[in-house]
Amino acid sequence: MSHAPRKFSRLLAILFAFTLLAAACGGDDGDGEGAGSEEGSGSEEGSGSEEAAGGDAAAPCDGNIDGPVTLTLTSHGSGDAYTGAVADFNAGPGTELGVTVELIDLGEAGYEDFIVAAAASGDLPDIIDMDGPFLYNFAWNGFVQPLGNCVPDGSLDDFLPSIISQGTYNGELYSLGAFDSGMGIWAKRSVLEANDIRIPETSEDAWTVDEFDTILRTLQDSGISSPLDIKWFYGAGEWRPYGFAPIIQSAGGDIINRSDFQSAEGALNGPEAVAAMTTFQTWAQDGLLDLEAVDDTPFIEGDVPLSWVGHWMYGAYKEALGDDLVLVPLPDFGTGSKAGMGSWNYAMATGDADPDAVWAFIEFVTSPEQVKIIADAESAVPALRSVLAADPTFQPGGDRYLYVLNLEAAPDIAFPRPATPAYGAIRDAFSDALADIVAGADVQETLDKAVAEIDADIAANDGYPTQ
Amino acid sequence: MTAPAATTGDLEPSSPEPQSRERESRFSAGIIFSLPAALLLTLFMVIPFGFALVLSFTNRKLLSPLATRWVGFDNYVDVLTDSGFWGAIKNNLVFSIVTVPVQSALALLLAILVNQKLRGSVFFRVVYFLPITFSLSAASIIWLVLLNPSGMVNTVLEVFTFGAFSPDWLNNPTYTMAAVILVSLWASVGFQMVILLAALQDVPRVLYEAASVDGASAWGQFRNVTLPGIRHQLFFVITITMILSFRLFDQVWILPPRPGGPVDATNTIMVELVDTGFGAGQVGKGSAIAVLFFLLVLFLTIFQRRFEPKDL
Repeated sequence: MSHAPRKFSRLLAILFAFTLLAAACGGDDGDGEGAGSEEGSGSEEGSGSEEAAGGDAAAPCDGNIDGPVTLTLTSHGSGDAYTGAVADFNAGPGTELGVTVELIDLGEAGYEDFIVAAAASGDLPDIIDMDGPFLYNFAWNGFVQPLGNCVPDGSLDDFLPSIISQGTYNGELYSLGAFDSGMGIWAKRSVLEANDIRIPETSEDAWTVDEFDTILRTLQDSGISSPLDIKWFYGAGEWRPYGFAPIIQSAGGDIINRSDFQSAEGALNGPEAVAAMTTFQTWAQDGLLDLEAVDDTPFIEGDVPLSWVGHWMYGAYKEALGDDLVLVPLPDFGTGSKAGMGSWNYAMATGDADPDAVWAFIEFVTSPEQVKIIADAESAVPALRSVLAADPTFQPGGDRYLYVLNLEAAPDIAFPRPATPAYGAIRDAFSDALADIVAGADVQETLDKAVAEIDADIAANDGYPTQ
Repeated sequence: MTAPAATTGDLEPSSPEPQSRERESRFSAGIIFSLPAALLLTLFMVIPFGFALVLSFTNRKLLSPLATRWVGFDNYVDVLTDSGFWGAIKNNLVFSIVTVPVQSALALLLAILVNQKLRGSVFFRVVYFLPITFSLSAASIIWLVLLNPSGMVNTVLEVFTFGAFSPDWLNNPTYTMAAVILVSLWASVGFQMVILLAALQDVPRVLYEAASVDGASAWGQFRNVTLPGIRHQLFFVITITMILSFRLFDQVWILPPRPGGPVDATNTIMVELVDTGFGAGQVGKGSAIAVLFFLLVLFLTIFQRRFEPKDL
């Protein structure tokens, strides 16, 4: 036993030697402006974005594509619409221009982690497909660069304003998408009518929270054990802030103070947010929310008459329910019904890829023909007015007219996710808090903790100063 | 075993006596044989840990356009004053205190069972070992479905308890750690079982024969022959189970409604580390957690070595 202390002190001595050695290296790193490889790529990207924002390099496109170019594109899905768009581009304009796009499918789960890891190892693709709110962090970090003069005058006129504002950070346009999103409750009309439940058609006409409470209990009393499907099986991640932050916003709170994006204090843990989340918790505890579903079958098979979800379920639901399917707005928690908005979009990575080639692809994938194909495949709201106007389901009386009304009334009804580099931290804190609230935790304490986490992240990043 | 430790470390060849020469050549052979492992350990463990130690005194981010700067002990102060970190340590300790004895005992029991000369014992050895071959994350996904409130586990429980006991394992903070422990036992007990099975087969048969001639009961044979015969391997199993139990991650990342949830019921040091270092991109603070984690496991291992069985 007498060996143990000696071994331990020897180990400590070795560790200490290493510390000194590494400290010496580390010191160099700090002074020498990026001697290490990580540091190198970081500062390179940083200065890249500074230049872009500074004006000198704010004109990435020169109108020429020099020689054959191969571009990489990361995507969150490999559906036919996406692989088709890439194939069509490569066979059509790509061949003409000498540009080939290579699709890298990463799947949707953990997508941002892949991009961050790729950036950390200096391995970013040339074109990044990303969910709306991540643009701001990627832009702040210098992963992506403004589209600048690549976008010809007048070519944005057909886009929905929500797509342009989603793609804008610090006054510069960084990204464009093929579709926007829609949020509401898909309902089984016959069940509502059988229970004498009013069917609201516009967000102004939405069920109040008390009315909705009564509706859920009426349905439960009629023999449906958990009448509201909330896609709880989607798990942690983007679904929770997208789907449920509108509750807090409708109550009069928010997930961050949007005046300066420096704190969530008072917004996420104020009395309005606490009251709304307490109501939600009561619904969970009274079994009104379906927390056990592991897939979409309960609504599709008619076991559950209400489904709190985004546009992407329209295709499958319409096929299953036909004319019995009706879209109603989310309930009004106090200051009017709100809904999520924004979706996946394409941005130009900072790097040495030819910006003209990158723009050629973004332009192609947001052309009316491709927007129609992709939006149909996603059951989403097309990003172009011309495509939207041609689809009867988005016109008055159509199945999805509510989405259009909500987007037109943004940000009073459709509510953008916050345009701040802190979004990832906000998303994680809110997602965790919602899970804990559903599991029965004290609402005020849980939201206070979420606020502390968000504020700590902002502080750790020096308030995310504009670059 | 009689050589004093100091001589091994002392390279001064004081006198060219044959005994010392032989010892010297054995020493250099030892160095050469341990070189590959030592090199890899240095490359993948010691150097990264050295970096972690240095980074833990900076505000280094995974990615940030802002410059990295020295922050002294700020990260350590932050971590040590964070109730989340202490909650994670508590959860790790609870998990270890339950799994180390239960898993070691269960592994021993299974090893003894499958060591019987019975028909089909090989089949059972394979069955008990099978979970080891699955990736823990894949197994967790399967258990996610089994532990659903109306899943298989509860359906079986309801039969045996006449419907009195069927908790929402993963959404109710009271039961989530129990569910995690259950899955962990299932997933890893086979590993310890195989080690102990090998140990059992190494115990000389003559000892059992002698014991039974002396009239020892089955329990007496187990206590006085089996246990002393496998004490080194058993100690190894207990140590390795403890160290592995502190690395608890896959199950608590996948099973609960959120990593470490619900309400921090299954938050562990590894979850804190990954959330901080990668999730929030705060590499500096994450490194501080890694250093504290290393010190904790080192301390526990040294403490445990005090109880190492000595050679007779």
